[in-house]
Amino acid sequence: MISVSRPRVASKSVTRTLPKKHLWTGTRAIAEAVKLADVDVIAAYPIRPYTGVMNSLAKMLADGEFAAEIIGADSEHSQFEIAKHASAVGARTFVGSSGVGLAYAAEPIVVTALGQLPVVALAGCRALDDPGNFGMEWNDVLTFRDHGWLMSWAKDPQEALDMTLVAYRVSEDRRVLLPHFVAVDGAAITHISTPVEPPSKDEVAGFLPPYKPLYPLDPAYGPVTKGQHIAPSLIGPELRKVVDDAMMKARGVIKEAWNDYAARVGREYSPFVETKCVEDAEVALVTMGAYSKDVMHVVQKLREENVKVGVVRLRYFRPFPERELAEALGGVKAAGVIDFSYSFGSPGSSSVLFNEVSSTLYDSGSRPLLLDFMFVGGREPSVRHFEEAVRLLQRGAEGKRVEKHVLWPTLRSENP
Amino acid sequence: MNEPSSIRTIRDVPASDLYTSGHRTCAGCGAALGYRMLLKAAGPNTVVLGPTGCMYVANGHQFLSSPYAVPWYHTQLGAGGAAGVGTAAAFRILMMKGKRKKEDVNVVVYGGDGGTSDMGFSGLSMAMSYDYRRFLYVLYDNESYANTGIQASSTTPWGASTTFTPPGKIKRTGNPRMKKNVALVIAAHPGVRYVATATLYPPLDFMNKAKKALEADGPAFIHLFVPCPKGWFFDPKYTVDLSKSALEAGLWVSWEYQNGEFSLSYRPEPRKQVGDYLKMQKRFQHLTADQIKEIDRMVTKEWEYWDEMDRQKKIILPWIAPPWT
Repeated sequence: MISVSRPRVASKSVTRTLPKKHLWTGTRAIAEAVKLADVDVIAAYPIRPYTGVMNSLAKMLADGEFAAEIIGADSEHSQFEIAKHASAVGARTFVGSSGVGLAYAAEPIVVTALGQLPVVALAGCRALDDPGNFGMEWNDVLTFRDHGWLMSWAKDPQEALDMTLVAYRVSEDRRVLLPHFVAVDGAAITHISTPVEPPSKDEVAGFLPPYKPLYPLDPAYGPVTKGQHIAPSLIGPELRKVVDDAMMKARGVIKEAWNDYAARVGREYSPFVETKCVEDAEVALVTMGAYSKDVMHVVQKLREENVKVGVVRLRYFRPFPERELAEALGGVKAAGVIDFSYSFGSPGSSSVLFNEVSSTLYDSGSRPLLLDFMFVGGREPSVRHFEEAVRLLQRGAEGKRVEKHVLWPTLRSENP
Repeated sequence: MNEPSSIRTIRDVPASDLYTSGHRTCAGCGAALGYRMLLKAAGPNTVVLGPTGCMYVANGHQFLSSPYAVPWYHTQLGAGGAAGVGTAAAFRILMMKGKRKKEDVNVVVYGGDGGTSDMGFSGLSMAMSYDYRRFLYVLYDNESYANTGIQASSTTPWGASTTFTPPGKIKRTGNPRMKKNVALVIAAHPGVRYVATATLYPPLDFMNKAKKALEADGPAFIHLFVPCPKGWFFDPKYTVDLSKSALEAGLWVSWEYQNGEFSLSYRPEPRKQVGDYLKMQKRFQHLTADQIKEIDRMVTKEWEYWDEMDRQKKIILPWIAPPWT
């Protein structure tokens, strides 16, 4: 080590060390968030591409970096049940899966929300089988869009870490008490390392107080009966309304949480949507997740060519940021959804995200031309596809005829 | 390790009930009686998890009443093992981190034969492979999916009539499968600390086994045989008599396995013919004299193994030529 004699200066700006950045994959970054949140019970089962988070956590626990119960379950069904019941006792829990693993866990996933248990799960987005597709699609998580789980999409490992901490804060808020999927795109985030700066333990301690359940399943609290069989005529609709109310209230709680996170940690995010160049845009792309970065790159490039294009990145899918999205698209003549989901037989034979965007704009003042660019089946898109999407939107904005409103840009027959 | 506190006479049984009024089980329900006995043995510092089944559907519903005076949470049909592990894990870590007072809390799963021997088998096996203390899984076996209308499960005995295995003009036998011996499979888990079988008779036997199980310092399993008037078609007043009759006919074998040692809890001497037991229930009324003889042959053969196990204090897998050979 080279020692350099340096004058002792009292000034803070000189002695302050640079923020420590780590080169972490998305799953590793989320594992750090789980550690910082001092999670109590972790339920694991392997399926790619989410598994890395559990590998990291198992090693951290083996090395004594923090204390938690980690259980290798016999299936995703058991995995989500373990998290659900540990949460009911009062433990902070972490779980996760990908692709058909989430489908296998469908039953506990549904009842976790109805039980109003603030379980946080990582969804490493992956195509559903058959045939064993490792590609990235959103349909695995979106299967549960209707069931009372909060859902957010990160664009990189840094945001995935921050989002996981915010997820605990929002989920455990007594106005909400709903489970939370932190969705990250398979491979593009789970397996790619980028610089990440974790908040300090103290910053997290102030932001995220220990979880205190309302009615813990614990004899020390009293004989709570939870999830008992009911007659639908007695309280069926009321039980649904409770979840609906919690989801509505989550909007405000999410805003509060991100503002507080920015104040304490110093990293700011616009809570629901991130926009770029939409103010004067004539056409816009709407998307979520990792590929937003490529889309933004394309927008930047086209702006240099004086193309009036903008982009809206949704950070939350549930609750769906309808007001923010409609506002961001208020001035555009045409918008295209960069979409990694599908919904066979849906209106327009399009996709899940497209239909959500479409129904959001139905009630808004402006009804831009709306195109769906479906990147399904796991074949990776390139920036060329996003550029072509903008060109097509431009033609539409100029009033020229656009034949197909739903396009499959990576499909061979459409792109010989 | 302390000697488990046992209940010596019926007077030692706690007078208070933790499974009490507020349910709507059938008259003579064996599973409900088992619940009551189990919670008397476990005491108030207990969390109970109830997978879907009779003891879920029949224990709630009307007027939002609850029969449980201890914390109780439903779990999905196949999730008893996982729910138990999640609950026990939460208590252990919260106590370890000082987030909750340190004390013994029992985690008890009371799951039916469908949820345990069929759908929840994988999760149960996982649960029995961990090291959670004061964790007991009780399989209440009424030998069918009773709350959905008596469909055969993998613990339904050979020949029984159920709505999925009705005897007819071509298929005359009823259930074509032999009853799965769940407790023997569970005993094959190296981490399991206590495995037993029991029934409602004699009552102290089951309660003492439950106490031993909770004090066994690791995961424990009890396979509890509970007659079901609705599914087996008998007069509800005979629930306990049938438990006794099954033991005497050697059709239900009561045993314990702990620290690598097997012991019979009861040996019928002499064993009664199975006919008396079978004839008390309409689910077997279609069986021919030859078929009843066949069941008797199987039980006789099986008992050679049980006796040998008791002599050697070791588990030996019984093998009986199936009735269709």
